[in-house]
Amino acid sequence: MTTASTPAGVARAEEARATDGAPRTGVTSGYLRHAAGKLGGALVSLFAVLVTSFFLFRIIPGDPVKAMTHGVPTSAEQLATLRRQFGLDLPLWQQFTDYCAKALTGDLGTSFQFRAPVGELIAAKLPATLLLTGVAVVIYSALGLWLGTRSAWRHGRLGDKVNTGIALTLWSVPSFWLGLLLIIVFSVGTGPVPGLFPTGGMESGTGETGFAYVLDVAHHLVLPVVTLVAVGYAQTLLVMRSSLLDEMGGDYLTTARAKGLRDDEVRRRHAVPNALLPTVTMVFINLGHVAAGSILVETVFSWPGLGGLFYQALSVPDLPLVQGLFVVFAGAMILMNLIADLLYPLLDPRVGR
Amino acid sequence: MVMVTKVPSRPLPRRPDRPRRTARLLLAAALATASLAALPATATAAPAAAPAAAGDEKSGGTTLTVAVSQSIDSLSPFLAQKLTSTSIHRLAYEYLTNYDAKDARTVPGFATEWSASADKLTWTYRIREDSTWSDGKPATAEDAAWTFNKMMTDPNAATANGSFTANFAEVTAPDPRTLVIRLKKPQATMTALDVPIVPKHVWEKVGDFSKFNNDQQFPIVGNGPFVITDYKVDQYIKLKPNKTFWRGSPKFDELVFKYYKDGDAAVAALQKGEVSFVPNLTPAQAAALKTQKDIKVNDAPGRRFYALATNPGARAKDGKTFGNGHPALLDPAVRKALFLSVDRAALVDKVFQGHAVEGEGYIPPRFGSYFWKPGPEQKRAYDPAAAAKALDDAGYRKNGEGKRLGKDGRPLNFRILCHATDPNDKAVGKYLQEWWGALGIGLTVECLDSVSDPWVKGDYDLAFDGWSVNPDPDYVLSIHTCGTLPATPKDTGATDNFICDKEFDALYAQQAVEYDTAKRADLVKRMQSRLYDTGYMNVMAYPNALEAYRTDQIASITTMPEAAGNLWGQDGYWSWWSAVPAGSASGSGDGSGSSSTGVWIGVGAAVVVVAGGLLLLRTRRRATADDRE
Amino acid sequence: MTSLAWERRRGSAARFWKAYRGHRAGLYGLAGLALIALLALTAPWTVGADVQSVTNAPGTALEPPSAEFPLGTDQFGRSLLGLLIWGARISLLVGLLAATLSVAIGTLVGVLAGHYGGWLSTVVMRITDWFLVMPALVLAIVLATVLSRSMWTVVLAIGVTSWPTTARLVRAQTIAVESRPYIERATALGGGHGHVMARHVLPNVMPLVLAQTTLGISTAILTEATLAFLGLGDPTVVSWGGMLQDAREAGAVSSGHWWYLAPPGIAIALVALAFTLCGRAVESVLNPRLGVGR
Repeated sequence: MTTASTPAGVARAEEARATDGAPRTGVTSGYLRHAAGKLGGALVSLFAVLVTSFFLFRIIPGDPVKAMTHGVPTSAEQLATLRRQFGLDLPLWQQFTDYCAKALTGDLGTSFQFRAPVGELIAAKLPATLLLTGVAVVIYSALGLWLGTRSAWRHGRLGDKVNTGIALTLWSVPSFWLGLLLIIVFSVGTGPVPGLFPTGGMESGTGETGFAYVLDVAHHLVLPVVTLVAVGYAQTLLVMRSSLLDEMGGDYLTTARAKGLRDDEVRRRHAVPNALLPTVTMVFINLGHVAAGSILVETVFSWPGLGGLFYQALSVPDLPLVQGLFVVFAGAMILMNLIADLLYPLLDPRVGR
Repeated sequence: MVMVTKVPSRPLPRRPDRPRRTARLLLAAALATASLAALPATATAAPAAAPAAAGDEKSGGTTLTVAVSQSIDSLSPFLAQKLTSTSIHRLAYEYLTNYDAKDARTVPGFATEWSASADKLTWTYRIREDSTWSDGKPATAEDAAWTFNKMMTDPNAATANGSFTANFAEVTAPDPRTLVIRLKKPQATMTALDVPIVPKHVWEKVGDFSKFNNDQQFPIVGNGPFVITDYKVDQYIKLKPNKTFWRGSPKFDELVFKYYKDGDAAVAALQKGEVSFVPNLTPAQAAALKTQKDIKVNDAPGRRFYALATNPGARAKDGKTFGNGHPALLDPAVRKALFLSVDRAALVDKVFQGHAVEGEGYIPPRFGSYFWKPGPEQKRAYDPAAAAKALDDAGYRKNGEGKRLGKDGRPLNFRILCHATDPNDKAVGKYLQEWWGALGIGLTVECLDSVSDPWVKGDYDLAFDGWSVNPDPDYVLSIHTCGTLPATPKDTGATDNFICDKEFDALYAQQAVEYDTAKRADLVKRMQSRLYDTGYMNVMAYPNALEAYRTDQIASITTMPEAAGNLWGQDGYWSWWSAVPAGSASGSGDGSGSSSTGVWIGVGAAVVVVAGGLLLLRTRRRATADDRE
Repeated sequence: MTSLAWERRRGSAARFWKAYRGHRAGLYGLAGLALIALLALTAPWTVGADVQSVTNAPGTALEPPSAEFPLGTDQFGRSLLGLLIWGARISLLVGLLAATLSVAIGTLVGVLAGHYGGWLSTVVMRITDWFLVMPALVLAIVLATVLSRSMWTVVLAIGVTSWPTTARLVRAQTIAVESRPYIERATALGGGHGHVMARHVLPNVMPLVLAQTTLGISTAILTEATLAFLGLGDPTVVSWGGMLQDAREAGAVSSGHWWYLAPPGIAIALVALAFTLCGRAVESVLNPRLGVGR
């Protein structure tokens, strides 16, 4: 799962090309100024995210205490105790100042439903999400790059059409639906297909250690990663394909060919490195989605990561936890956008210098 | 979902259009997609020999794995309120009393016998001598007294179970075998104190009870049939049998509660043998599992009632009314008409697919001694014609468009609060819309993730309501008394839906101090009759507990009630304590031994590589062929 | 409008169509869309609103496909084929409305920011950037949770969270257009802000907007399905995402009722694919990049 919008970096690259007409100043000072600006912007964004996350979730209707005690014998005194423990008896402004003061020291509060520090909960689930989405992003980026290059090189031919056709089809499939189908076919087993893979979770929990544990996790990783890769690689493929097509129009390639280089070499030495630029930017942006990106797939595969935690926290609503997760999700996007912004001018001599 | 890539695309070089080629292109695309999807399938042929229920070689023991979905809120008995947590505390700690598996009557637990003084204010419990904590120390009345005193003096320790001790005046342990509880006023629930007793020598070191979750040091010291040995948030909770448990050690060598946040994943895991037991099935899942080998579906009478609640005009103890409930619902004739046009039998048949019992009184028939149902003349049976007549007689006439008009001359349109996460609410909502639509009354189904906000504010007309009933019905009755209304409109009370009725309250007060079980049961039945007659609630069904377990892993297991009862969420530890592993070699909860895992992955990876290579070759060859054309 | 201008528009439409026809994939997409739109629009006569009724459901629960019910029945005994056709109406409508809303906001913001520039542009672009780093799905989930369950909530949640991309692209295009000499001429001749934006900028960004909308619809349909799947849709209307959610809640996955689960997913994928193919074709015909499309 990636997001519903165009990756920021790609949009920016587009825009930069469209409006690139500004006078160019000295290389280093220009870059430093650019970097400082971007860094400042990122900090402002992060602060805005902190504030937004507090108020965004306070407007969710629902009384967390009443919701949590639903169906449990609870007296009015117990409700009051819970409210006091959660700090919900304080006026909103005081809750906000408490939240800000704590957030500045890195404390995101205590979860209502797990009664544990939000930071700890997130830290406990982050590795699972990073593993799942990290592996998926690496695989689909590599797959996309490779297939995109092949497609561009043979653009307009059957291979290209098949390639992009498959990619676009898979890309149009709802990821959660694909996940459910994979479970039916490869976990439950259908007809002659036995249940090959676990239905969910990250480990069997039978006490494997060392290499056996790694294998166990890898075994659990297969279906969710396949789902993410299937719906995700089209993006890389298409971007790589079109930027390579851009490059192939360049005069220097003709020159290179004229020099007697073989097609393969032309491709490897000249076109591909240049075309990698927007794709690499996009990979970074995708990494930014790592945290938020897999809510659906984590739900379908019971993956013990942040996505499932977020969805669960939202239904209470477990305010400190949803706030903390939102900050983490948005923070990851801001960080990766920042890296992309900082890298872009370094990699592309045409922009920003 | 997947992003829209604003992909900078180039116009493709045009070629003469040839329909046949395009068809082939599509075919190729379809083939490739299919083969991609089939990759792992081809991988399965060879190693498919090892079926699911391979033994767990390493631990060498039998494991009972239970699929759960609800998160643990805390492993501290002083904080835990969710069903999963309290069920696990039942296994790890003793309570003063327990409920018989056969008929849910009170039986000895940590206490072996008990008696009340003549003035009904002093209860004396005899504590059992053969119970020891899992760290070897003896469990005594001192531990029980400390537990109750802690709850009475520290509000944080009263978070979960404070309602039980609210009426306690003093708790003492004159000797290690005697516990004495003095009450402020008589309390009939003294043999139903569902409070885990904790070891004093461990818990007196705890500082802040609102922060201590009891999940750092394993194994957790307890005296129940199992000992909690490991816990990973939303992944698993592991327990080992308590070999010194006075009733006898459980038969399985390990009990694991494993998390499946998705119901279908849990069922699939059951089919594969990854888990031994799955609760909360849907009718479709139950039907599918019934036909499978080695799986037993347990369809047991449930402990919940599922009802329609009307807003009787929300109000606080200070007499102020609030909320925006529809005024027409204050008219008994309207409520009666609505209830008369609910076909409860059809709901049981269609929505629950027969896995429920038609609703009548308040307490489900499972609790036989308290079950009550309306007599023939009292009963509101399904009768749409009578419903329409009742409305006509009360002056709610249909207008030209067939809509009933209220007293203010406007068409009657009600809202109903529904839990967005409950499929039954949504399904029943559809039926109500059509039945009441035929009456000429409009219905808006408002589904929310958390209905508590409008509910507490009284901003609803009708709502789907349901409670799980305990063997002692005191609590589910108390929530309809005036005493549980919020103090002011700004507060939150324990009240269910703002019902406040003098007659009901008087009966409630009587049963609360009645120590004679037969007389108390009679009072409870009269309360239900009164509640029925007030006509604010319509119990539609008592949903069954649908669950399934693997018979090749569990040879036998005790249900509660013993004849046709449930397994998950019992009032006691009977099911897991009594479960007997099937066979001596098998019965492991997990199917994927680590050795086979490697094989799977190896083969899987190889096949992916080979198939990928083939695919590549094929596209390349095709592409070249294409070029030649 | 003068007949000359009319003539010109028609000419450019004809040119557009001619170029579009060259895109095979685009044509397939268009044909697919036409077919699905036809099915959705004629649904009241082919299947009728009665198909949603639970009390008059013709079948029994979860019947497998048969001659009477080609795709089987749902847990209420309603015909799944009928529901699938009926559900197309909501899914398409939500997709169209959400994408239109998103692109409308994006275009407005983009044109204003690009035209006026200065501090307004800075502020607006900061807000856009901020929205761009917000995880869109997370934000949409939150919005859908906050508001009551209805189709409009879903439209709003999708529209409000997905506009920033369009805004950025439109702003860039606006700046590019306004740097052309004829805009200067128009201003010199006394054309106000409104005139320049409405008469010169807007027609020039329209192609971009069209392409964005087409691509946006497929995303919106997928997001609608996602929200419905997470239980955030309106449970009282029939949509494809809602059908998937119903199927899952009924336990269709583990009980092997593939006929309940597969068709809505395939329908979503096909419509999303059709819109994507059309969008890509439109985009490559107009090639809005660098403003050389026209």
